[in-house]
Amino acid sequence: MRLSPRIQRCFGFFVVCGVLGVTGCSAARPPEAAVAQAELAVRQASESKAPAYAPTEFRVAQEKSQGAQRALSAEKYDQARRLAEQAVTDAQLAQARANAVEAQKNAEETRKTIDALRTEANRPTAP
Amino acid sequence: MFNKQIVFSLAGVSMIALVASCAGSRPASLDRAQSSLRQAQQDPLVARYAPGQLSDAQSTMTQAERAWKSDGDRDETSHLAYVTEQKAGIAVAVAQQKSAEDEVQRLRAQRENIRVDARTREVQQARVQTEVATDRAQAATDRAVAATTRAQALEQELTALKAKDTERGLVMTLQEGVLFEYNKAELKSGAMRNLEPLITFLREHPDRTLLIEGYTDSTGSDSYNMELSQRRAEAVRNFLAANGISADRIVARGYGESYPVTTNTTEAGRQQNRRVEVVIAHEGQQVAERR
Repeated sequence: MRLSPRIQRCFGFFVVCGVLGVTGCSAARPPEAAVAQAELAVRQASESKAPAYAPTEFRVAQEKSQGAQRALSAEKYDQARRLAEQAVTDAQLAQARANAVEAQKNAEETRKTIDALRTEANRPTAP
Repeated sequence: MFNKQIVFSLAGVSMIALVASCAGSRPASLDRAQSSLRQAQQDPLVARYAPGQLSDAQSTMTQAERAWKSDGDRDETSHLAYVTEQKAGIAVAVAQQKSAEDEVQRLRAQRENIRVDARTREVQQARVQTEVATDRAQAATDRAVAATTRAQALEQELTALKAKDTERGLVMTLQEGVLFEYNKAELKSGAMRNLEPLITFLREHPDRTLLIEGYTDSTGSDSYNMELSQRRAEAVRNFLAANGISADRIVARGYGESYPVTTNTTEAGRQQNRRVEVVIAHEGQQVAERR
């Protein structure tokens, strides 16, 4: 069956929009800001206790940030943006976990000093 | 011949079909995110210490759901679901950190209390020890004062006795005139007055022994003077005995004209030589007789 030109144009419009909707309209702009943010977040985490106390989480953040840069170079912009956003959150998680470990170690240390103090205090003193 | 209405609805239906068939089933990542989020929501520490972080995770979850339901974007949905999980993890970690920090504060306060208690006990003990030391020092001072008082009393006694402190003992010299008439061996009535201080002293110090020595000048024979001085010494001893001083403590000796204190060529000198010396032994000693 032959469709009128007007209907053909409308149908084509829907198809194009559908294709664009599937691949993502945001494919237009390179996510340089997001990738830069990811690099910054990873650098910040590297200067904290994260590499020491949350090494796995930190490594994940590092790898994602590097992946985002590679995707950016390869013009895979959607992938680059997503990896960058994930790297930021991964870096934040690494720092949060490291902080938690540090605080818990602190609490343990303090508990130990109290035990030691109690032992010392209860020891009978010389007359 | 297709009319416009049928065409547009066909296009609409095919759009929906396109979206639905391309999208597929609900991503597992969404369910995982949902589960992590629910766990975080149910954690009482998270509610207390990380409500902001939890809220952030919740809004990302909403975005993920919208990416799926409205846009059918599988990749974006998975991405947002992953971010949601990580943010839920952040909320939990922050809650753990803050809760541990609160614990440290509480423990530090406890530690301070223990230190304060221990220090208080130390201070109390130190105070007790100081008190003990002060009491001891006071007792020592009291003893010293008592000793000084005794020494002063003794000095006063010596002054009353008009005695000289010598190696032999305390030597009290009584001229002939205060005790005896010239050439006599009976004590004068006024003798009591001069011997009173000696009696007092001997009563105060019952442990002391004494030696009464009688001396004359060189006038007359040796044997006469020897006998006179002996009888005079004995007279003093008898007097003391009569006044409560045991004779056991007293040795009476006459030395006649021996051991003069000054020249016999003048009357003044001879008067001085005519005397009785009472030698009181020092504490713990016996009097050594002259010979």
